Amino acid sequence: MGVQLFILAVLLLAAPAVIGGLFLKTDKLGGNLLFRWVSGQFLLWEGFQLISVPLIMQEHRFSRLVQIFTGYMAALALLAVAVEIQRLVKGQKPSFAGKKAAGSGTGRSTGILLWLVFWGVLLFQLAQAVLLSYADTDDAYYVAISTITQEADTMYQKLPYTGGTTLMDIRHGLAPFPIWISFLARLSGMPAITVAKVVLPVVLIAMTYAIFYLFGRVLFPEKGRQLPLFLVFTELLVLFGNYSIYTAENFMIARSRQGKAALANIVVPFLLFLLLILLKRIQEKQRVAVSCYVLLGAVAVTGCLCSTLGAFLVSLAVGIAGILGALCYKRIRVLFPLAVCCLPCVAYALIYLLLE
Amino acid sequence: MRSDMIALFQEYMGTGLIVIWYVISLIYLWIKEKRKYMRILFLYMPIILLLLYFNPLFAQLVYKAAGDEIYYRILWLLPVTVVIAYTCVCVTGQIAQTKPAQGSFFHGRTGMLADAAALCMAGAVAVSGSLIYSSPLFSRAENLYHVPDSVVRICDAIHVPGREVMAAFPLELVPYVRQYSAFVCMPYGREMTVDRWNYHDPLCDALEQDPVDLETLVPLAREAACHYCILPAGRKLSGDPQVFGWVWFGEIDGYTVYRDPAIELWNPETGLFQ
Repeated sequence: MGVQLFILAVLLLAAPAVIGGLFLKTDKLGGNLLFRWVSGQFLLWEGFQLISVPLIMQEHRFSRLVQIFTGYMAALALLAVAVEIQRLVKGQKPSFAGKKAAGSGTGRSTGILLWLVFWGVLLFQLAQAVLLSYADTDDAYYVAISTITQEADTMYQKLPYTGGTTLMDIRHGLAPFPIWISFLARLSGMPAITVAKVVLPVVLIAMTYAIFYLFGRVLFPEKGRQLPLFLVFTELLVLFGNYSIYTAENFMIARSRQGKAALANIVVPFLLFLLLILLKRIQEKQRVAVSCYVLLGAVAVTGCLCSTLGAFLVSLAVGIAGILGALCYKRIRVLFPLAVCCLPCVAYALIYLLLE
Repeated sequence: MRSDMIALFQEYMGTGLIVIWYVISLIYLWIKEKRKYMRILFLYMPIILLLLYFNPLFAQLVYKAAGDEIYYRILWLLPVTVVIAYTCVCVTGQIAQTKPAQGSFFHGRTGMLADAAALCMAGAVAVSGSLIYSSPLFSRAENLYHVPDSVVRICDAIHVPGREVMAAFPLELVPYVRQYSAFVCMPYGREMTVDRWNYHDPLCDALEQDPVDLETLVPLAREAACHYCILPAGRKLSGDPQVFGWVWFGEIDGYTVYRDPAIELWNPETGLFQ
């Protein structure tokens, strides 16, 4: 178990944090460890989607996907390390903190108390994710797909509910988030069901709060006490988000192993965060780094990995924000790179509509 | 269609109190927020999204492409959590910066007042929502697989290394079986547990009857090539399983497992039938 958890920590925490160094120039927060972790994970997810869908459609074995994606992951990690070394040679220190917010110095003790509350509630939620199980029958599809893929080495060729062979399930095959879970299970040696229901909820819930933290850093750049207060409020809204079974918060806590939960709680918030820093840079007349658009593209492709509806939701959000930005700032040319970011979504949506 | 959209929106809102807080936050931002990029993302974009959501033409397009059940997911693009949390912090910040008149009770105590306001807002959020862990669908996990122990023990007991086995399970266990083991196949699956899908399977119906009529169940199970049938231990049987050729395999966690020798089960590891 210890070795399996170590491998998963490398795959889910260390590797993305190293790879995220490639996005250092995206924003002032580019060097922040949490920004690196989240953005690195999006680059990995993007690669997984681009590699896996063609292999699934050509009915390749799962082992083939594992080989290719492991190679992709290793190549990205080596590239990130090389870039880091190059920075060191140039005399730049490796950055994991981003540019520090200028604290006002007031309310320091309240700030510490709020951080303690935040960490306490976060740890409580992570512990609950391990200790409580949620009876959602959708798992009979998604988790079963992960288990079958790990054990039978096929992808979307067996009926998850009963076990008979079937024709390719195109609707789900275009959004192979459960296959990514199988990949983690195969490399770590842990059963796919444990990865899906115990390990992933802990990592993905933590990632959602990491994105809220990044939001907080942009929304409250100067006031030290306001960031932890903001995070405590987000925790409260999540904890009391059971007013309907449809809310993103409900999906986050109850069904975090499903792609649609990742779409609602990781892809959409990080997309909005990137749009926020993009619009902010345009307003401040700063150059928008190419890496920002690359990251937006990665988010768009990850939306497709999580759910077939993800392609539509991401395109819709980017489209509306892009048009509003272009109109409000009178900068039509911002629409072109944003449209390019959405091209993969359009391609996946077309494949879905043609083959469905 | 309009009524469907409204019904979905109402279901999404629940009691509607959190959505009221969201609307109040939007009004606050409309008045107070001056940064254009914030207004675009937190005000204009949600308004356009809501206009689109309630637009029948747009809804018709989405319904056709993605189905009606998931239309509510467009509402995930509304940054409800971030906007409410941001507004609450802004309000407390504003209270902390107010300067009450000299001699007033609050003079020099604005920090305390802001903390009290933050606590009140936190309380309001908690009262308006519903605690996520209060859902009856949550229960203490019995193991590291988050499936009932009975499923783990039954699947381990009937597992034959290197091959699949076919087993008919009671409905309460059906959703979990293939999450745990891909080597246990079933004649019917989770679709039987969703009422609105309206699936029926005669074998499932026969197995769920109380008392179980073996004269109906056994031929159906054989037709589906079931190596095993799992019945709740307390379930009454009309007939003797042995008379119908079933062999008692074991009693596991409140379930009785029967093996049907009429369905051959070859073990590739031992090279023997079992």
